[in-house]
Amino acid sequence: MAESEAEVPKAKPRPIVRLGIFLISHSCLFSVICCTAGVLTLLLLPVLAKNTYISENALMPGSANPMFSSQEVSEANRLVKSLTSLDSKPVGSGIESQRLIAEYMSDLGAEISYHKFYPRSNQFHPLHFFSYPDSGSTRENVSCISHGLNTVGIIRAPRGDGKEAIVLVTPYNSLKVGPGEALSLGIAYSVFSLLTQVTWLAKDIIWLVADSRYGEYAAVNAWLRDYHMPVFSGLSALKAEICPVSNVHNELKENSVTERKINDGFRRAGTMATALVIKVTDGSEHFEDSLSIYAEASNGQMPNLDLINIVNYLAVHRQGLRVKVEKMRSLINCKWLKILGEILQSLGHVAKSLNPQWKFGIPAKDYVEGAATLASSLYYQALGVPTGPHGAFRDYEIDAITMEISSRVALNNKARKNDFLLRGGRLIEGVIRTVNNLLEKFHQSFFLYLLTSPSKFVSVGVYMIAFALLVASLPVVAASLYADAHKVDPSFGIDKSTPQASATDELSITPRSCKWLNAAKKVFLVHLWGAVVSFLPYFICQIPSCTPTTSFVVWVLLSSFSLPILSLILGSSFSYGRPSQPQKRDWTLLKSVTISAAFIGLCLMSVINFATAEIGALLMVPMCLMAQPLKLDIRSRKLRKFLRVACNLALGFLGFPPAGFFVLKGAFEGFGGITVGDFWSWLESIWSWSSATYLYIGMVHLPCWVLCIHVLFHPC
Amino acid sequence: MVLHCYFHSLGHSRSKELKGNPITFYADIVNAMLIRATGQNLQMEYTRSLKLLDHVKLSEKPGKIIPSGDIAALVYLWNPFTIVACVGLSTSPIENLAIILSLYGACKRQAPLAAFGWVIATHLSLYPAILIIPMILLLGYGTDTPPRKLFLQRRNVEVGDNPPNDRCCEREEVVHRSEVPHVFSWRPVIHFFCWTSLWSVYVLVLCGISVKQYGGLWELFKRTYGFMLTVQDLSPNIGVLWYFFAEVFDFFRNFFLIVFHGNILFMMLPLAIRLKHRPCFLAFVYIAISSMLKSYPSVGDSALYLGLLGLFVNELADMQFSFFLFCGYVGVSLLSPVMHNLWIWRGTGNANFYFATAMAYACLQIILVVESVSAMLNHDRKLRKPLTELQDGKN
Repeated sequence: MAESEAEVPKAKPRPIVRLGIFLISHSCLFSVICCTAGVLTLLLLPVLAKNTYISENALMPGSANPMFSSQEVSEANRLVKSLTSLDSKPVGSGIESQRLIAEYMSDLGAEISYHKFYPRSNQFHPLHFFSYPDSGSTRENVSCISHGLNTVGIIRAPRGDGKEAIVLVTPYNSLKVGPGEALSLGIAYSVFSLLTQVTWLAKDIIWLVADSRYGEYAAVNAWLRDYHMPVFSGLSALKAEICPVSNVHNELKENSVTERKINDGFRRAGTMATALVIKVTDGSEHFEDSLSIYAEASNGQMPNLDLINIVNYLAVHRQGLRVKVEKMRSLINCKWLKILGEILQSLGHVAKSLNPQWKFGIPAKDYVEGAATLASSLYYQALGVPTGPHGAFRDYEIDAITMEISSRVALNNKARKNDFLLRGGRLIEGVIRTVNNLLEKFHQSFFLYLLTSPSKFVSVGVYMIAFALLVASLPVVAASLYADAHKVDPSFGIDKSTPQASATDELSITPRSCKWLNAAKKVFLVHLWGAVVSFLPYFICQIPSCTPTTSFVVWVLLSSFSLPILSLILGSSFSYGRPSQPQKRDWTLLKSVTISAAFIGLCLMSVINFATAEIGALLMVPMCLMAQPLKLDIRSRKLRKFLRVACNLALGFLGFPPAGFFVLKGAFEGFGGITVGDFWSWLESIWSWSSATYLYIGMVHLPCWVLCIHVLFHPC
Repeated sequence: MVLHCYFHSLGHSRSKELKGNPITFYADIVNAMLIRATGQNLQMEYTRSLKLLDHVKLSEKPGKIIPSGDIAALVYLWNPFTIVACVGLSTSPIENLAIILSLYGACKRQAPLAAFGWVIATHLSLYPAILIIPMILLLGYGTDTPPRKLFLQRRNVEVGDNPPNDRCCEREEVVHRSEVPHVFSWRPVIHFFCWTSLWSVYVLVLCGISVKQYGGLWELFKRTYGFMLTVQDLSPNIGVLWYFFAEVFDFFRNFFLIVFHGNILFMMLPLAIRLKHRPCFLAFVYIAISSMLKSYPSVGDSALYLGLLGLFVNELADMQFSFFLFCGYVGVSLLSPVMHNLWIWRGTGNANFYFATAMAYACLQIILVVESVSAMLNHDRKLRKPLTELQDGKN
């Protein structure tokens, strides 16, 4: 922001200053060009996506022949059969299945331990994303009645030093083991049994059978927390005080000779290199067996791209599975997207006919698919809610993904089932063997990327361009408004360079650097209000038996009351009053400061969670740039001005977070059955996952919207 | 009164957070009070010199001269940097206390106090040693005034005018009287040096006694000043040196150590010559520069120079880029913790992310120093303008 560069002596300003002056004087054109270019670049991202490649040389995926054979498949079948038979028994409580799995594990010679955990209720901790996940875990309020039980098996690597480990996670509901869950347990077990025999293992293998009674994420998270935070005797005594120890271990140990290996304590291996969450679903696919990859962790963090590359490579080239990532279904049938895809395709053809070296055109169908995938990638990253239990690992800097293998037909046919188990097992064996080659942590490839298909990605260097173009206009417009506000006032600005102005005059005018302080005060006040609004739900949560709708109404009421109260306390009035001459141009300064605040907020958010910042910028940048007092436009009766008024009102409506939420939800899912409480439930889910998006909405987006509305209704 | 209310409310809000260790908190309060007293002193001098220069219109209009002392104290107290440094139990409030004490003592021309503050500040953090130049100027010439030339010019105008009435003779006398503090007076300076040597001997003896069993004074110097000067601790901070010295080859290390520390020293003399009529402002510039180039900077140092900046609010009212600087400071202070989090905790970023914010911060500080100095020089020029016009008109 070179807000006062315009004031440098006219003699011969430096080129960079001249460039600044040029940009500021053409800020309107510049901002239009920048915004359009930003949106266009975003639409072009599927075309700009690159093919993935395995960046780390040490991995060598698929270089060894799979050792997984039909023998392991039969073992898997054995476990699946006994699990299903257990399930059909009426007395089959949770503990039975865990004991069964532990028995199977100990037969393989693995170290076994149980991990008891208590589910935590959803808490309001919006600042949690900023701290290490351990903090605050000591003062959890646990309910003693319900607890889950994870079973953990560890194989010590014959060639390792016990400092590193690979984790396999199979979530299953211990109360009712479904067929898919049983199959996933079977696959994991067969791989586990293979790994007890192999000689090449350099990292310990941990198999976590997570009890998903209270949610898959909760179980894995609880285990990880205890894994990384050693509990010393004092604390465990405290816990024992809170909850009477129901001797699960003793219950489990009784009348079983084989379980002598079970340890009471918490067993650990080394630091985790990778974690794979294995799930099986069946019968939903039309064409072939497929593998869905879920990678988004909290706050839009992704695992290293190399991990996805390995899985994708092995699944496609070795096992012949079709790999999928999440797509936004409603976009695939979108008309304008198809048209755009065709335009890009024909453009690509034209470019190719001009010069055969240029190959940037992609087929229209690919474009639409890529755009849908990209949109869902952006959406899930922006939401900041992990898409599976792998999200818990990312909080501890462990790369993890969820692999959901689904078969073409229902797995009743035995040969079909065996084939499915064989392919799944080989895939997982291959991934583990590849990760086993890893010398250090995954670091070679990208952490910041968006997927447009399982084998295509957009890296941070490319997608940042779209965002940078969008927000680039903000500082320029802020600077030009700031310069305007000073130029319009006749007492200063230009006359600085004229020698006729007497010195006393120059000294007696109000210092111009202080003029923006009033506007800054107002902006600060509104942002403070935003902080108050975002922390109000903490108190509203405490109200017992409240439906989402009433909570939402209470929230809105409290928020709207707190703004005048705050302004009363801090002594900055929001009523417009009578506009005296100097106040008439106040709105330019206010808009300038608002835009600067929005710029800082967006840049900050783009570092924390890029996808949120991108979507937020799409909504906020036009709103901030367009905002202009309605009175000015209405007074001059021209069509263009009326168009601007209409634009302003529409953007102002869309910019209001609940309104924007309902419109977007309606557009994607249809307007049927939307209630006011939906917004509250949505926000509740966001903050209980401690997503930074919540803070962004409360402390950046909402205040900027209020300020824009303030500018819109400014009297002048 | 308002200020005292502020103190009171602030005291409540902050002392809760500082359970059991209120010393930094009290140090901050004392700092603010001292800044306020210094500011009042400066302001008195400012109005007096304006009167002498016949800017009567300006000096008599109420509300036109902002009470800079109050502003500076408030800026110091409410600065988020101060609060963070205080809540984080950093020792910088105490170092700042020593620096401000010496400035206050020099403004009040109390050589013992100034010497005490300077010795303690130097002992605590070494870099305030360069403040000895503004100290000498303050004690020798008195507090900030417009350049001496202006007064001479003014007198020439008056004398050349040769007026018949005796009102102007009075004025002339006033001008003459105003000359008196502008002659460099050696007495307080010599006092200052005596007291400085006394205090330093005192501090050294005390230190010598207390560290006798740990290897004596030399070990103390090596472990403290040596640690500061050789930049051994490369853990990330808001400065730029840690990154540089982590990257630099070992055999260049000494060379660059000399270059970086020499940088501060090189800037001292030219600034002292140009700004010798404004020693307090000179002290501010020195503090800003040293907090930018020191080996282990902290936000507490920034809090100090931002507070001192408030002292010159009248002179710097026309500063350019003020809004840009404000936005920059807000942006960087929000961005740098996030970058640190990204690098250290989440592992998705790397050191360059955090260092980028440190560089942006250094650039902001440079712009602040450059712009404030140029605004101050512009202010002096503006004061001269009516005088030259008067002279031209007569000629």
